[in-house]
Amino acid sequence: MKPFDIVIVGGGGAGLYAAMEAMKTNPALNIAVLSKVYPNRSHTSAAQGGANAALANKAKDDTVEMHIFDTIKGSDYLADQDAVEVLCSEAPKIIRELENIGTPWSRLEDNTIAQRPFGGAGRPRCCYCADKTGHTILQTLYEQCLKKGVIFFNEYFALNLSVNGSRSKGLIAMNMKTGAVEAFPARTVIFATGGYAKMYWNRSSNAAGNTGDGQAIAYRAGIPLKDMEFVQFHPTGLRKSGLLVTEGARGEGGYLLNKDGERFMARYAPEKMELGPRDLVSRSLETEILQGRGFDSPAGKYIHLDLTHLGADLIKSRLPQIREMAMNFEGVDPILEPIPVRPTAHYSMGGIDTDNYGRTVMEGVYAAGESACVSVHGANRLGGNSLLDILVFGRIAGHTAALEARKFEPSAISEDEVKDQLAELRSSMQPSGHYERYGELREELGQTMALNVGIYREASLLKKGIAEVLELKERFKKVRVADSSDVFNTNLLQVLELKNMLDLAETVAAGALAREESRGSHTRTDFPTRDDEKWHKHTMSTLVDGNVKLGEKPVTMGRYELQERTY
Amino acid sequence: MTVSTDQHNEAKRDVTFKVFRFNPQVDSKPYFDDYKIPVERGVTVLRALNYIKEHVDASVSFRAFCQAGICGSCGMRVNGISMLACTSQVWEVLAKSKEEGVIKVEPLRNLPLIKDLIVDMDPLVDKMKHYSNWVDSSMPEAEMGKKEFLVSEEEFLKYDKATDCILCASCVSECSILRANKEYVSPAVLLKSYRMNVDTRDSIHDLRLAELVKDHGVWDCTHCYRCQESCVKSIPIMDAIHGIREDALESRGMKDTSGAKHAEAFMSDIEKKGKLVEATLPFRTNGVLWTMQNLLPMAVKMILKRRTPPPPPMVKPSKGIKEFRGEFREMSEHVKQDHKSHKK
Ligand SMILES: Cc1cc2nc3c(=O)[nH]c(=O)nc-3n(C[C@H](O)[C@H](O)[C@H](O)COP(=O)(O)OP(=O)(O)OC[C@H]3O[C@@H](n4cnc5c(N)ncnc54)[C@H](O)[C@@H]3O)c2cc1C
Ligand code: SF4
Ligand code: SF4
Ligand code: FES
Repeated sequence: MKPFDIVIVGGGGAGLYAAMEAMKTNPALNIAVLSKVYPNRSHTSAAQGGANAALANKAKDDTVEMHIFDTIKGSDYLADQDAVEVLCSEAPKIIRELENIGTPWSRLEDNTIAQRPFGGAGRPRCCYCADKTGHTILQTLYEQCLKKGVIFFNEYFALNLSVNGSRSKGLIAMNMKTGAVEAFPARTVIFATGGYAKMYWNRSSNAAGNTGDGQAIAYRAGIPLKDMEFVQFHPTGLRKSGLLVTEGARGEGGYLLNKDGERFMARYAPEKMELGPRDLVSRSLETEILQGRGFDSPAGKYIHLDLTHLGADLIKSRLPQIREMAMNFEGVDPILEPIPVRPTAHYSMGGIDTDNYGRTVMEGVYAAGESACVSVHGANRLGGNSLLDILVFGRIAGHTAALEARKFEPSAISEDEVKDQLAELRSSMQPSGHYERYGELREELGQTMALNVGIYREASLLKKGIAEVLELKERFKKVRVADSSDVFNTNLLQVLELKNMLDLAETVAAGALAREESRGSHTRTDFPTRDDEKWHKHTMSTLVDGNVKLGEKPVTMGRYELQERTY
Repeated sequence: MTVSTDQHNEAKRDVTFKVFRFNPQVDSKPYFDDYKIPVERGVTVLRALNYIKEHVDASVSFRAFCQAGICGSCGMRVNGISMLACTSQVWEVLAKSKEEGVIKVEPLRNLPLIKDLIVDMDPLVDKMKHYSNWVDSSMPEAEMGKKEFLVSEEEFLKYDKATDCILCASCVSECSILRANKEYVSPAVLLKSYRMNVDTRDSIHDLRLAELVKDHGVWDCTHCYRCQESCVKSIPIMDAIHGIREDALESRGMKDTSGAKHAEAFMSDIEKKGKLVEATLPFRTNGVLWTMQNLLPMAVKMILKRRTPPPPPMVKPSKGIKEFRGEFREMSEHVKQDHKSHKK
């Protein structure tokens, strides 16, 4: 295959914005987007709540500076402050740009883009389209990419980077429709493969494919990952499936009630109440449950999210998707009854370490979106800041790669390398003698992560978690792909995704054990306070001889000094 | 083991899933595999399929991603009707099964089959491209990001519902014209085209419309309503189709196209003969028997729901139509009666 200037792995919001921007920056470039699902199916479509930008449409006194402060404070001071500045200053521009190309934003009475309050934000600055914001953004970007003639390789599964010393030669991927392993020689590669919170499996709000493939590929190629221990739990996952009830429900005025009918957030965040930041609300829910004030059911303990007082009209017009989900997956109509919820693993703050331009340490390799860690979310992401992150840094990565691509000489990927990958794939998945079942390993991984590396963490549990993950990695060597077909072998893909999750799970658990403090989403019961002296720094994970090696990196300050975080 | 949402021992039912199987590498033609598994209340068809894949037969292939009815991956036919597997409850489907305790699962229709329950979506994407299913902004690229277009509630509401579409292709699978003509634009693409055409920020309305009125375009639709009835997001697709047609008739310059001419002639025809003539159209393309089997039930539904069928191309009277007219007269009598009793 002729070498590409840019190969973008991932067709979610980050990947598509990167593609669109790269085409705009230099239309002469040869750009391809590769995605394991049709781009419009990407997980960005699940984002319901909205994207933050200080447009000041709703609150006239909102400013970019306030957005910056809220984000840094929300991050528990672990975000890099120069990166946050980029994020928030670019926000109004990017939301308007999306509007200009057709995103159907909801509107205020004066016909400007609508905004609503969202957790951890000092002003109502979350721009939304009913409760289908991510879906409509993704549709718009996909449409624009089709318009621009972006070349898509849909249903291609990225396997590995092809590396020569410190340089990437391109990507090796499987065509899911044929099972063929193909080389994509490329001057530059951008990873935009989304998050890794699915390692918590049915205690996660994520799509089945949010398995951190890009992070795992980069990690295997020697690129460091950053702050992997920070996994955000969303307070309101549906009790049975982990699926998400968006913060929009609380933004519109929903109450969290314990079994005594008490609005317990009054005890944890008296001012912000239900709209406190996610980590705090999740911990509050977990505490209520642990202290016996939750409801009991065969499917586990839970809390009530009550919308009944909002009225049928508001629920139907502003929260239709939430209503549909509650009815489909819990059999509860929120107009009539409260929704049973509990915390669910939702977002991965950690990811591939990049600079503010999306560059990784490997020449010609970039990353953006949830798969990257710039870092703008630090120890805790604010609701509505992730869509913003994927758009802003997707665009920046696309722009940078387009400017830099021609700087790198293309190199060929040999046929032997491709053949070796295929052969290895085949033989490793057909062990002789005793074998392991994919489903069981995955179930056990989700279980051990939730129990030992969940919301409340502690040294003994974390050690147990690490040991179990390592054992699972061992057992994985004997996993069997029961389906032997070439065409659309979804069984094989699931196994490959599990491998990626296992590699990353080790970095999450190891990072969590090392970090002897509590910060943002990372809560150690044995180290309950933030320890700025020892731990005001990023955790770096590198793969050395098959296992994780931890390092560190300073946090970029410059705007706001460290403060205690209260709401 | 049981597929369950609760750890509790809830009532279970033995369900046989009759799953459509086809692997192009080894099979010369498709067949069905039966999987009998116990299923509790509250389990979706997708969860049941996942269970089969994990515990019974790992080679069963289907797409799924979000598991929450938002990504559009898991469209398939369950007991003959196209729907999302991840939002369909096994017990609910079971209640309507023809064969007691059996649920038949097949791939979507009208798109090329790849394997088992997986069909190729590329033709749909190609059509989206062909009909410019994007907003071609009236704002120059260099100006973008500086200010917002102001969009009123009224303008917004015109396309709001259409943007719910998740491209699951359920409507495509149910479309009666697509079965005969794979080139046909497709309901989802008509919907998207309409959504773009009513967006005040867009600048290529005329160009898009010009494509839509050509062969295989909007005039080929028979108004059978199957797409709308199967839409997993309850989008009023027919409003979009009517909208495009009205738009085409109103737009000067579009009148030269054969479709519009047919339609105009038909309009006057309708005035003379009454609205129900539309139901005779499918005869021309599909023959009497097919129409009786496939469209008549729809026509009855349409009439009962008092929808006004707008104009398809001219219909030449053909053999067999007399009988039909008789039936329709009866139906329209019925509708009138219905009207009266309703008014009381
Ligand atoms: C339920 C839910 C609600 C949310 N709500 C909000 C919200 O209201 N506001 C907000 O700001 N954020 C929200 N988020 C977070 C936000 O949606 C995500 O962080 C964001 O959409 C991630 O976008 P992305 O482009 O980085 O990745 P994704 O959209 O996940 O896309 C990843 C892409 O990579 C591709 N890919 C992955 N692996 C491979 C591989 N091996 N080979 C080829 N391709 C691959 C996939 O096919 C996909 O196209 C929400 C998240 C969830 C789970
Ligand atoms: S109404 Fe038209 S588009 Fe819809 S299914 Fe019938 S023929 Fe197809
Ligand atoms: S119109 Fe409805 S049925 Fe058709 S693709 Fe869109 S969501 Fe699916
Ligand atoms: S899996 Fe996404 S719609 Fe069913």
